[in-house]
Amino acid sequence: MNPLIFTMIMLTVMLGTMIVMTSSHWLMVWIGFEMNMLAIIPILMKKYNPRSMEASTKYFLTQATASMLLMLAIVINLVYSGQWSITKPLDPTTSIIMTLALAMKLGLSPFHFWVPEVAQGIKLSSGLILLTWQKLAPMSILYQLSPTLNTNLLLTMSMMSIAIGGWGGLNQTQLRKIMAYSSIAHMGWMTAIMTYNPTMALLNLAIYILLTTTTFVMFMLNSTTTTLSLSHTWNKTPLLTTAILTTMLSLGGLPPLSGFLPKWMIIQELTKNDSIIMPTTMAITALLNLYFYMRLTYSTSLTMFPSTNNMKIKWQFGHLNPTTLLAPLIILSTLILPLSPILALLE
Amino acid sequence: MNLFTSSTLLSLLILTMPIMASNFNSYTKKSYPNYVKTMVSYSFLVSLIPTMMFIQSGQEMMISNWHWMTIQTLKLNLSFKLDYFSMIFMPVALFVTWSIMEFSMWYMHSDPNINRFFKYLLMFLITMMILVTANNLFQLFIGWEGVGIMSFLLIGWWYGRTDANTAALQAILYNRIGDVGFLMAMAWFLFNLNTWELQQIFTLNPTNTNLPLAGLLLAATGKSAQFGLHPWLPSAMEGPTPVSALLHSSTMVVAGIFLLIRFYPLTENNKTIQTMMLCLGAITTLFTAICALTQNDIKKIVAFSTSSQLGLMMVTVGINQPHLAFLHICTHAFFKAMLFLCSGSIIHSLNDEQDIRKMGGLYKSLPFTTTALITGSLALTGMPFLTGFYSKDLIIESINTSYTNAWALTITLIATSLTAVYSTRIIYFALLGQPRFPALILINENNPLLINPIKRLLIGSIFAGFFISNNITPTTIPQMTMPTYLKITAMLVTLLGFIVALELNMATQNLKLTPPSKYLKFSNLLGYFPTVMHRLQPLINLLASQKVASMLLDLTWLENALPKSISSFQMKTSTLISSQKGQIKLYFLSFLITLTLSLITLNIN
Amino acid sequence: MLKIIIPTTMLIPLVWLSKNSMIWINTTAYSLMITLIGLPLLNQFNDNSLNMSLTYFSDSLSTPLLMLTMWLLPLMIIASQFHLIKESYTRKKLYITMLILLQIFLIMTFSATELIFFYILFEATLVPTLIIITRWGGQTERLNAGLYFLFYTLVGSLPLLVALIYLQNILGSLNILLIQHWSSPLTNSWSNSLLWLACMMAFMVKMPLYGLHLWLPKAHVEAPIAGSMVLAAVLLKLGGYGMLRITTLLNPTTNFMAYPFLMLSLWGMIMTSSICLRQTDLKSLIAYSSVSHMALVIVAVLIQTPWSYMGATALMIAHGLTSSMLFCLANTNYERIHSRTMILARGLQTVLPLMAAWWLLASLTNLALPPSINLIGELFVVMSTFSWSPLSIGLMGINIIITALYSLYMLIMTQRGKQTHHISNLTPSYTRENTLMAMHILPLLLLSINPKIILGTLY
Repeated sequence: MNPLIFTMIMLTVMLGTMIVMTSSHWLMVWIGFEMNMLAIIPILMKKYNPRSMEASTKYFLTQATASMLLMLAIVINLVYSGQWSITKPLDPTTSIIMTLALAMKLGLSPFHFWVPEVAQGIKLSSGLILLTWQKLAPMSILYQLSPTLNTNLLLTMSMMSIAIGGWGGLNQTQLRKIMAYSSIAHMGWMTAIMTYNPTMALLNLAIYILLTTTTFVMFMLNSTTTTLSLSHTWNKTPLLTTAILTTMLSLGGLPPLSGFLPKWMIIQELTKNDSIIMPTTMAITALLNLYFYMRLTYSTSLTMFPSTNNMKIKWQFGHLNPTTLLAPLIILSTLILPLSPILALLE
Repeated sequence: MNLFTSSTLLSLLILTMPIMASNFNSYTKKSYPNYVKTMVSYSFLVSLIPTMMFIQSGQEMMISNWHWMTIQTLKLNLSFKLDYFSMIFMPVALFVTWSIMEFSMWYMHSDPNINRFFKYLLMFLITMMILVTANNLFQLFIGWEGVGIMSFLLIGWWYGRTDANTAALQAILYNRIGDVGFLMAMAWFLFNLNTWELQQIFTLNPTNTNLPLAGLLLAATGKSAQFGLHPWLPSAMEGPTPVSALLHSSTMVVAGIFLLIRFYPLTENNKTIQTMMLCLGAITTLFTAICALTQNDIKKIVAFSTSSQLGLMMVTVGINQPHLAFLHICTHAFFKAMLFLCSGSIIHSLNDEQDIRKMGGLYKSLPFTTTALITGSLALTGMPFLTGFYSKDLIIESINTSYTNAWALTITLIATSLTAVYSTRIIYFALLGQPRFPALILINENNPLLINPIKRLLIGSIFAGFFISNNITPTTIPQMTMPTYLKITAMLVTLLGFIVALELNMATQNLKLTPPSKYLKFSNLLGYFPTVMHRLQPLINLLASQKVASMLLDLTWLENALPKSISSFQMKTSTLISSQKGQIKLYFLSFLITLTLSLITLNIN
Repeated sequence: MLKIIIPTTMLIPLVWLSKNSMIWINTTAYSLMITLIGLPLLNQFNDNSLNMSLTYFSDSLSTPLLMLTMWLLPLMIIASQFHLIKESYTRKKLYITMLILLQIFLIMTFSATELIFFYILFEATLVPTLIIITRWGGQTERLNAGLYFLFYTLVGSLPLLVALIYLQNILGSLNILLIQHWSSPLTNSWSNSLLWLACMMAFMVKMPLYGLHLWLPKAHVEAPIAGSMVLAAVLLKLGGYGMLRITTLLNPTTNFMAYPFLMLSLWGMIMTSSICLRQTDLKSLIAYSSVSHMALVIVAVLIQTPWSYMGATALMIAHGLTSSMLFCLANTNYERIHSRTMILARGLQTVLPLMAAWWLLASLTNLALPPSINLIGELFVVMSTFSWSPLSIGLMGINIIITALYSLYMLIMTQRGKQTHHISNLTPSYTRENTLMAMHILPLLLLSINPKIILGTLY
């Protein structure tokens, strides 16, 4: 793709998200979503092949449906309240439709089917954008609407997402699919806390983006898309195996790594709201995610996968992708738990 | 009186010297056994001082040296009880050990690890001394377990032999069963009296002592090889003969009886326990005497005779004559140790032949051993004015004149007469008659290391009873008057035993070999006890542990209940969740259903 | 406490900056010195705890465990040398780093004041342990063992997190020193029973309770020597420590909630020790014996009397040293025979007499020979269970008998008997190994002179 065009498209994607996040007018929000969605399609199809074609079609169809639903909600809201302003509390029906639309965009549980399919069909770099940047816009709307959202609906979807995110990833060997399911599960955690303490949801989003970026950057370094090719990492960049191990465990939310921080906070918030059984269930269901991350670390770092001698001299050739960003990312994605007292500032 | 405690402690300290020395160079030297033996003899001499003082003044003492720790309200000290029992038993045990150690210098001289053997013997002696002198139950338990473990090590001395290892494990197993009783007693005393100090327990004199005393009885049963827990004692004969002489005749095995004697202030008020002891002792003494009748292994005969004597001691405690039982412990130590040494001498001389059928005519070639063996056997049967007489005769008399269970009495009397029978059997087969051993064996007993200890013990077997019983006032008064026929009962049954045995031995000399009768089988196979208990019990237990604990519970149920079932459930769900064909129809269906459902359900209110 | 934590942390640069030939020596020497720094903590001069700061404290319950942890690091480093002999230096350094990391976490766990801090570090210990087990373990089964280890512990402990946060919401603090004074008795309700379960289950899995113990034999068997050592010696004790700490909050619910677990422990104690009788695998035998011993600790903690608490604490320390020593001994066999099967390594007394002496001592302490601290622990537990229910002496007695049996069975199997022909060219035992055993047995012997320092807070 022409770099100029690529830059343009990327800028449009960002612009769309920015518009969604900053505007206080429902129409502008919708326009932002549409801009974002239309601009991302070329990125998904950066490499033209039937798979990415299929993926981007699916993405387009679901997102378009979501946008339509969103528009529907906006119009209903307009009818009821006569305002385009986003600050106005929504009535229940609108809220439900809005929530469902945003859930569709996020890939929350009953609408999660497209996420692994789309993620599997596109390039790693596009996958990174899909699973991180694309979550920002819907999240920001949910954040703004958080007082008027239907808690039952959100919690149901979040529980389902966490469970499906866990179960779905269990028998996958494709890294992008695994990451997609992981994303579903994390979205579940975010929406669970959304009505109680939206700040925590943002914290979770931030850390999720951080972790996912780290993981994708590491995958991109060796262009690994399957567990099998991941297990050859030790031939090329032995140090990275350790990093993959810690990042994976952090994604799984094992204390004392960064990934534990949002889980801990969310459990705390839910418990404060006299919800005991749900956080316990969520935490235990999250172990399913941990299980498939563990499997990745097993094949990557904790065993030395047998390989031919040709593979073993890979390290001599060096690699072209720059790794400057990787070191701070890894450090951030594993070691920021001791910073948790700072969270007191958020309150 | 300071000399009293300090010389007792000195004699104990002397014993620890060679253990300390094992850290230094001297342990590697050839002279170590001699050093150990000398130290034990010094210790014996020193221990005579407090004993004499005790005999002279009759004063008992208790020393508390070192405060170990205080747990809540329970204070644990290193404390020694220097009373009648410990004061008399210490020199006896030291004397016997001294002789046995000297004997082992001869018996074990070719063993490459003889130094370690002596160290083990000494460590055993120390633990025994701890047991004897302990003033609180914890210290007693240290000694109690210590002798058990040392007996494990010493029985398994020839560790290359499977039999020795099995016997050692057996000894520990039976002792451990007894330990449970001991622990229960400790727990009971702690729970109810909040003390483990002996004199405090006796002062508090608790009522309803059935449970702790039953525990102690169980402990004594294990340690003293009473019926039920007896099979380890004959098996323990796999150990070297000095070990059998020291541990399994004179010191360790009497620890159980000693424990009960220690607790006589409690047992004398508890008729239930007394009855139990009486019956247990009587059964033991008869059963083991019967087993002894048909054994052919000389050490096994002596071992069974030990067991039988232990039963007799138990009977004595059971008829509430603990001091008599204690006297019997002391006298028994001399002649039984000597019997073992004599059999050791015979075994060694005949190139490790233990079968009495392959001996015979040894009175010519081993005159001194023969003398000692016959004297020892006579002392064992209670011939008048040998050592055994002073205790055994009194015991039989007390039984005869007491108002106890006639069955137990009869059984004991039969066992007494059987004592004479198996003694005769040893004498007849091993010593008299024609030699049946290979002609080329060089027999020589003229080694001072062999002669001297047996000589000392021989003197002990003749005079010790006289000395002890003359110098010490028995605290419980034995029966003073009785009809003549009761007075001579013991003598009569013993003589009867002798005569019958001699006649039978003569008569069976030339008999043709007949198929063994079932009585012979019963006796020879130890009453089928090992066959039943040692085959069936471990089989059941090991099978249970394999099949139930390991295979069924651990590897099947627990594995299936948690990890396996969970993982299979997760895998099924996972397949269910993630196996979709990626058709866009499905996506929109899910949108539609969710939208409809949520709008319907959530809009109701 | 920082005077211990910071030097321990600085061991990591020490490892990476040391010359290749010096990594073992340097780390051993320095970690031993750190142990010396910790020794003064044992002097708990008054009944209160030593409060270093708001974050760290130590009292007479945590200090013995802390000392055990610190003492174990040099031992693990000494023990692992042969195991890693074929690895590259980077990997050796990584391995030692993992051990040190685990050490730091453990020290912080045992000295944490805040329960949530305790929880995080409790979980944090999983990561290095997991890496040690699955990266350096022997067979491929180690992966499964690692999963069992991780997931049993996590499933058990996640409810604890929720419970702790819940408690914080109620009590306003999770400071161990404060809340035992603040907490009010729990009322008798279903939800409080669930709270009790959530609080205890994490530690019961860690101990492990019978039924939840399956991870332990697997992890023990598959782990490399240092992993087995630290698992047996310290990680299991985390469970006991946690239970001792948290039961103060859970009164009086413990009184009736304890029954099923007491029963299960008593039953499991016998089951696991009888499994020991049939083990052919040396490490597995020791692992099951750990389960059986830990069942005693669970029983003791649940009975909740001063004697039982003392017994539990003493037993934890005693078992820590003993089982670690047994694992080391098993490892010395393994390094020579290259098999854990007992029948392949028998009659070793003839070849390695000094090792036989260590075996003997280790077995004897394992079967609780008086006056070792193992006996003190077991005796106290037996005493307190007897006062709880006299009938329990039967089960305890059976367990005592079986313990003696399998300990001596292990001894006889490996050391006694005829020498087999294939063990005739074994390497003699190294000074390193003898030092290792001596360093295990010495604390055991010395502690039996003055056991009160390991009797915990209620002494």
